[in-house]
This record gives sequence, C-alpha cells and structure tokens, in this order.
Amino acid sequence: MNILDNRSFLILDGGMGTMLQQGGLAPGAVPELLNLTDPARITAVHQSYIEAGAQAAYTNTFGANRLKMAKTGHSVTEIIGAAVKNARAAHPELVALDIGPIGQLLEPTGTLSFEEAYDIFREEIEAGKDADILVFETMTDLGEVRAGVLAAREHGGGKPVFVTMSFEENGRTFTGCDIVSMAVTLEGLGVDALGVNCSLGPDELLPIVEKLSRWTSLPIIVKPNAGLPDPATGRYDFDPERFAAAMTKFVPLGAVIFGGCCGTTPDHIRAAARAIRAMQPAKREIRIPPVVCSMTEAVVIDQPRIIGERINPTGKKRFQQALREKDMDYILEQAVQQVQAGAEILDVNVGLPGVDEPEMQKAAVLALQGITDAPLQIDTTDPAALEAGLRHFHGKAIVNSVNGEEKSLRTVLPLVKKYGAAVVGLTLDENGIPKTAEERFGIAERILSRALSLGIRREDVYIDCLTLTASAEQEGAAETLKALHRVKTELGLRTVLGVSNISFGLPARELVNRTFLTMALQEGLDLPIMNPNIESMTAAVRSFRLLAGYDKNSVDYIAAYGGEAPKAAAPASQVTLEQAVESGLAAQAAACTRTLLAENEPMEIVNGRLIPALDKVGAAFEAGKVFLPQLIGAAGAAQAAFEVIKQTLCETQGETVSSGTIVLATVKGDIHDIGKNIVKILLENYGYRVLDLGRDVPEETVADAVEREHVRLCGLSALMTTTLPSMERTIALLRERCPWCRVVVGGAVLTAEYAAKIGADFYAKDAKATVDAAKQVFAS
Amino acid sequence: MIRPSGIDRRETLRYMGMHGKPDAALEELLDKWEKRLLEELSPRYTHRIVPLSFMPEGILCVGTALVLTGGDIAGHLAGCGRAALLCVTLGHRGEHLRRHAGVCSPLEEMAVNGLENALVEQICDMAQEEILHTLSGVYATWRFSPGYGDLPISVQEDFLSALDAQRRLGVSLSSGGMLMPAKTVTAVIGLSEEPIAKGKRGCGSCDLRSRCLFRAKGEHCQ
Repeated sequence: MNILDNRSFLILDGGMGTMLQQGGLAPGAVPELLNLTDPARITAVHQSYIEAGAQAAYTNTFGANRLKMAKTGHSVTEIIGAAVKNARAAHPELVALDIGPIGQLLEPTGTLSFEEAYDIFREEIEAGKDADILVFETMTDLGEVRAGVLAAREHGGGKPVFVTMSFEENGRTFTGCDIVSMAVTLEGLGVDALGVNCSLGPDELLPIVEKLSRWTSLPIIVKPNAGLPDPATGRYDFDPERFAAAMTKFVPLGAVIFGGCCGTTPDHIRAAARAIRAMQPAKREIRIPPVVCSMTEAVVIDQPRIIGERINPTGKKRFQQALREKDMDYILEQAVQQVQAGAEILDVNVGLPGVDEPEMQKAAVLALQGITDAPLQIDTTDPAALEAGLRHFHGKAIVNSVNGEEKSLRTVLPLVKKYGAAVVGLTLDENGIPKTAEERFGIAERILSRALSLGIRREDVYIDCLTLTASAEQEGAAETLKALHRVKTELGLRTVLGVSNISFGLPARELVNRTFLTMALQEGLDLPIMNPNIESMTAAVRSFRLLAGYDKNSVDYIAAYGGEAPKAAAPASQVTLEQAVESGLAAQAAACTRTLLAENEPMEIVNGRLIPALDKVGAAFEAGKVFLPQLIGAAGAAQAAFEVIKQTLCETQGETVSSGTIVLATVKGDIHDIGKNIVKILLENYGYRVLDLGRDVPEETVADAVEREHVRLCGLSALMTTTLPSMERTIALLRERCPWCRVVVGGAVLTAEYAAKIGADFYAKDAKATVDAAKQVFAS
Repeated sequence: MIRPSGIDRRETLRYMGMHGKPDAALEELLDKWEKRLLEELSPRYTHRIVPLSFMPEGILCVGTALVLTGGDIAGHLAGCGRAALLCVTLGHRGEHLRRHAGVCSPLEEMAVNGLENALVEQICDMAQEEILHTLSGVYATWRFSPGYGDLPISVQEDFLSALDAQRRLGVSLSSGGMLMPAKTVTAVIGLSEEPIAKGKRGCGSCDLRSRCLFRAKGEHCQ
C-alpha cells in the first residue's frame, strides 16, 4: 500500500516527552499515565503539532508495554486505548500507534525470549486497534524489531508498519545492527517505511540516511533529535531554523517522511514542514543487489561466497550423537571452525530421525546468531522446521531449498516471501533430476516464475543445477556446468552448487572436488556449498577471486596467506598426553590421543592417562602451585582429547562415555555463568555427562530436569547475594520433588556456612571441589 | 565513545586469578583478544551531576527519582553537596565476543572475561577523569556502586532512569535486576567544595572480606 497516499511528503510530529517535560513532569513519573490522568494535556500537545503542520500524531505510548506499565496499576489496553483517543481528539490526518523498545534485552544477551517479546508487542498492537499506522521507534535490536513487525503483520489488521531505529556515529545501533542489515531484513519482512530516529542530530544522521537510501526502495523516515544535547544542561543545540535547514538535506537522498525526536518542539516542526514542502521529492531508482545478512553483517553476493556445509548430521555419527544429546556446544564449534577457515555463510541442517527438528532448528539458529556474525542458510525438508528457523533468525536467511515439484513450490515459497528470505531452487521435480541442461534450465525458469508471482525479488532466487556423481555418470558434470552457465547468463540469477558429491566413489576425492569447483566458478558459480576446513578448497575460491579481479589488490588473499607461516606444532611424539594436558596444549593432546587409540582401549586412556593428568593439575591448583588459567588450560586440552575419544566411541561402538549425569544451572535471576561453564568443562573432563540448563533458570526447570532423568547430583551457581534466596528455593523444591538428588552449590558470595544453612549437601569453593563432590556421589 | 590504547595486563591477570607470571602461550592469547576487543568494542559512558538532599529515608538525587539508602552510602557522601552519577558499559559486542570465545575454549572465555573486567574499570577511571576535568574547585570521593556495603542493587532501576541509560547507552535491567550488558558499571562519585578525607575503601568495608582469596594470600584487590 502507498502510505503517502498522494502526498509528496508526510510530516510527523516532534518530541512528546520534550513537551511534557517543558510543562512540568515529576522525576520518575510515567508519561504514559497522563493519557488517563490528564487527557486534555496530551491532546493539547498533539494539537500544537497539528497546528504546526504535522499530519500524523504519534500516540503517547512509547513505553506502554506490560512490563513497564506493571507498576502503574493500569492495563496496557486501558492506557493505549485512552492514548489513541487523545490523539484522535486533536484531529490529525493519521494516528500512529507509537511503540518503543520493551526495555529488556532479548536472549542470548538478555533473558527475554523472542516469543515473550512477540506477545508483549501483540498486546500493544491489539490495544491500539483504532490507530491508523503502527510505528516502532528508537529500536536498537533487530531481533526485537522482528518480533514487533511479525506481531504487527499477524495481529495488526493490515495497518501500515513504520520502523525507525537509532544508530550511533559508527553506523551501528547499540546492539551492533548495521544499516544494511536493518534495511534488507525489514524490507524483506514487508514493512511500509523505514528510517532513523533519536540518538543523533540531523547532521550526524546524514551519512547514515545516505547509506540507508542505497539499500532500501521503501519510503525513508527521518526523525532526528534537535542536534546534540549539552552535557551539562541536557538542552539540545538546534533552534527551529537550523533544524529545518538541516532537514532539507535529506530530501535529495529520498527521505519523504519527516518528524522530530528529543528536543524538538512545534516550532521545529513548523519550520521543517515549511522548508520541506517547498521542495520536490527526489526520484529514486534503487536496485538492491543479491544480499543476505545476520543482525550485524551483510554479505553481498557480488562474487563467489563460501557456504560452509559442516552443520549437518548426514553420515556423521558424532554430530548425530550431539543432536540427540542436544549438545549445542558441538554445533557451535562447527560454526566457529568454519568461519575461521573462510566460510561466509553457514548452512544449518539439524534433521535426524527421533529429533524434534523444528525445536532443534530454532535452538540452533538462536545459539548460532549469538556467537557468529555469519548469515545462515536454513537447510531442511520439514516446513515446520523451516518456519522455526526463519522466524528466529534475525536477519535475511537463505532457504535450502525449494524444487520444481508443485508441493514444494506451494509450501516453501510462501514462507520465503513471508520472512523475506532468499531461496535456493533445486532443478528437479516430480520426475527426478533431468539428464540434460536444457530440462534443468526449464525447471529453473519455472521456479523463478513462481517466485516472482508471489512477490519474491528476482535477486533472491538462487539456482542449484545439482552435482551428480562423476563415477556413475561421467557426462553429468558437463551438463551441470552447462545448465549453471545458462541460468547465470540467460536468467541472470545467482547460482549455488554443493560440489563434493562429484567425487563420490572415487579415490583422492579432494583433487576431483577442487578441479570441479574451479570449473564451476569459471562457469559462474556464486555460492559453493562446501567444507571450508579443507584448505585446498577454500584456497581455490580465494585464488579464483584474486584471478577474476574481485579481490582488489589481492587484499584478502594476502591477508589469508601472506602472513608468517604458522608455527608448526610440536610433533605429537615429542610430548606425552600428560604433558600436553598439564601444559594446556589442546592440539597436541588430541594428536597424542589419536596415537594412543591405535593400541589402547578408549576407556583405558580416559581412566589411566587423562584423569590422572587432570588430578595432578588439580592437586597443584589446590596447593597454590598453579592458578586458575592453567587449570582451565589443562581442562581445555583434556576436552580436546576427550572429543577424539568420543568420536572414536561413536564410530566404533555407537556408545557414549559417561561416569554419571549431572544437572548444572545458574539460578533464577542470575545471569553470570562463567563459573558454571568452568565447572561444566571440568566435570566433562572427568567423564560426567552434564545437562547444562544455562543461566537465569527457574526452580521448576531444575526440578523437571533432575526428575526426568533421575539425576543424582545437581550443581547450582549464584554470583549475587540477591540471587541466593532463589538458590535456597531451588534446593527446597528439589528436596520435595527429587529427594534422591544431592546438591552442590558454588559462587563468589557463598560460604560453607551459608551453603549448609540453605540445605546444600556440598559447598564447592571452586571447580575442582565440584569434581570431588561428584566423585563422592557417584562412588557410592 | 572512549578508546583506550591498551588493556591493563596486570589487572586482567588478577581478574583471571593468575598470580604468577603467565607463560608465553597465555600472553599470546591475551594479546590476540586485547587487540580484537579494542578494535570491536565501543565502550561508552553517560553521567549526570545532581544536587544531593539528605533525608531521613536516604539521599535524594535532586531532579531524579533516585534515593540512595543505607548507612554506607551516607558515610561515603557525607559532606558532599552534589554527586556525579555515572554509567559505563562495554556494550553488546562485549557479550557476543565473550560467548564466541567460550566456544573456542574455556581458557579463551576466561581471558576475554578478564580483559573485559579490566577494561570496564579502565573506562570508569577515564570517564571519571573526564567528568572531574570539567568541574573546577571540587573534591571527589571514589566511586561507590549499588551492591557495595548496604546500598541495595534494587536502586539500579531508578539509577538507570535518572541517566536515561537505556536510550543513551543501550543498558537495561534483567527481570532479576542485573545490569545488561553484563560488563556495565553504575557508580556514584560524591562532589564537595571541601577536601574529603582520604577514601576509606579497603578490606574493612568490603562484604567479601571473610572469604576473599586475595586477602587470604595477604594481597588486596585495589
């Protein structure tokens, strides 16, 4: 819908808070409450802006969410309902429901879940059903904005949605969201206008809006502060004339919706409206290139980009075990390794029989975006898992994949459109994979045309012409490359190819893979899906980018290969496993373990070598001869050794090593988890299976986990005096529901006396002491 | 934004619980992360100078809803007509990088945690210096934070509101009352026209004195 509705420009109002403060507002008072207690005053502020030339009135509801209003004794529905009436009473052309940030941080930095955030916004949107526009402003977290926009799309009755975010001078919001990520993610989600408000004055926002204007085709909103505040007085430094003059500079950039934020008054809006209305809107011709992004980083597909394929359980027993055990750390390690090796996008496939794939896809996406900037590719054949992944990824994802089958087109493409993703189209259909390039090209055309008919951008359709196995169908390689070339040149689409299938059944597969990859790049492959940890493959892409002229002045190539040659690690034979562990040498510990496995049983190595080595470091730590970093370094090395053993056991026996299961949690209200994480590593070193419930864990969740698996030991951590009562409550609940379970507690503020007082069985002064407690419990 | 040129290594090691000399591998690890943190973090602060009004229920920071309660803060601010309210944060990127380090190895997580703890204190020092530099002829106390002595951390909500810290710094409170991002500090600096007796911060006024590991070794933390 055209939100401008024949207007050249849309003028919004200015600061509500500024006007209320000018009229006197007690410190700590809740401005939203005035909607009920002094409606005439609110309507008067709206009127003053309308008289100044504003066409839209933002309701006085910036913080009117259930968390912030809880202390007022009034419901969100009451406050927002009154606010919309108060705005309407001033007779603006449009009433905009103003929605600000919730005020709590989303997971993983904070504790608010995406679903809770969604529901908080839903309530506000439903309470504001009589408004004409839904506005999210002063937002800094793209994840939170997505929760709001999805709530608006699903509960807003089709009202136009505006979003403005607040950027700092470095071009990022406080949460690290960058301009391109904001623009492509929100345009993909179907908002009607987007832009910037607050944080800075018009001059500082100019470069930000300039960049934004190149990355969105939507109408642009500019709602700056009245300059910058004086640090001593808090007063903003732009008078109305200066503000108006500065605002006119946004018109040539394509901004068409204007208003003011902190420090602006009706006089600022009057002056700005007059100056802007004397101008003509800029004509814009925006072509957004193919691009995907996370919250923090955009990857433009303007040259070959590596999609890492390792987050996928197919044929990997260790990965399958990790999925079954919900071992997220293992999955995250795969991500970090691949990005370090050169992956720019990560494929995420967590489908396995017996695993709740939608739940796992959601958990993986949430955890991955908390530790990496790489955009994700959601790889699944389950539509529910696809939607779970897309809903929780706070950027623009790639969907892997749709194909030419009617059922696939019908289920996958609407989700791609709804969440604003890009999509990989596989050139196969009901009849399987066609033999010829001609037929595959035909399917690509069909997929494209269906995508376009649903409003998916041409630039967001990537085609996979499918790699067949050369040992089975030798002529297939040429057909794939021919189809790829035609899709690239005739349809102008980006191309994707999983390359390693080409060598299946052949010896020295890496040679064939690398050559095929190079051939495909030359034919126009944009997105190889591959294992970036294989150095020669990543090197092929990097050298291609250099030779094809993408890598200007060979900057990336030199960054990757021009440094000092990496120092060779000491050969495994020169250090023993014990020495490697004691010195915290993870790579050597793993290498030693691999050597030892040739002649020793896995559990012999664990019990005969690893644990005694750890005990020795632990004893030295207790004696004050080594310090915590050395203990943790040793634990890290032992962990690397243990991982090798797990891998072997998985492959040979399909069984896991476990000396017993322990539940760990940082108690409700507490977000400090480094101590708990250290304890976890050490316990795992000693062969215990740890169910890590995370931080800020409710009492019931702890008891549920202990009860479900009849766990014999539970470790609770708290760092703050204020969260000790929550530890006490957790212990009480465990005593009631799981009397068999022993409890060990630790944390900076605890003492042995206090631990005894709240009913714990063990007080652990450090991580080592927790291991001792575990040994005692599981020995009995 | 404040950009220090380095992160205090001695303090970092102290936060890591490292008392001896670190080996070359640990030094290298700390160098790597120190460089990355300085490149990627955007530490910020905001402050506000408020007149103080001593009332029976506590000390009101005039012009805000913040009332500082308890005997310890009263002693700290005795004789001060004004105070600087300060909030410093390393920002959200600090959380992201610490989580990332945790995936790499437990030691890396610990190193990043130590570096960030040292850095946030350094930023506090720099911020305090900048603030005091703008005021002439005043004497300042050391920084006193909610949670010290009997000043409850429940004052954080009014503290953050008084500084508009959510909008200015992106700092908020968790439902459990914790500052987020985690590497965030709030503090009160008392300001007086008269010289202030040498700060009495020390083990005697610290809540952790009975079980402090530094104290046990005959050392101290500041």
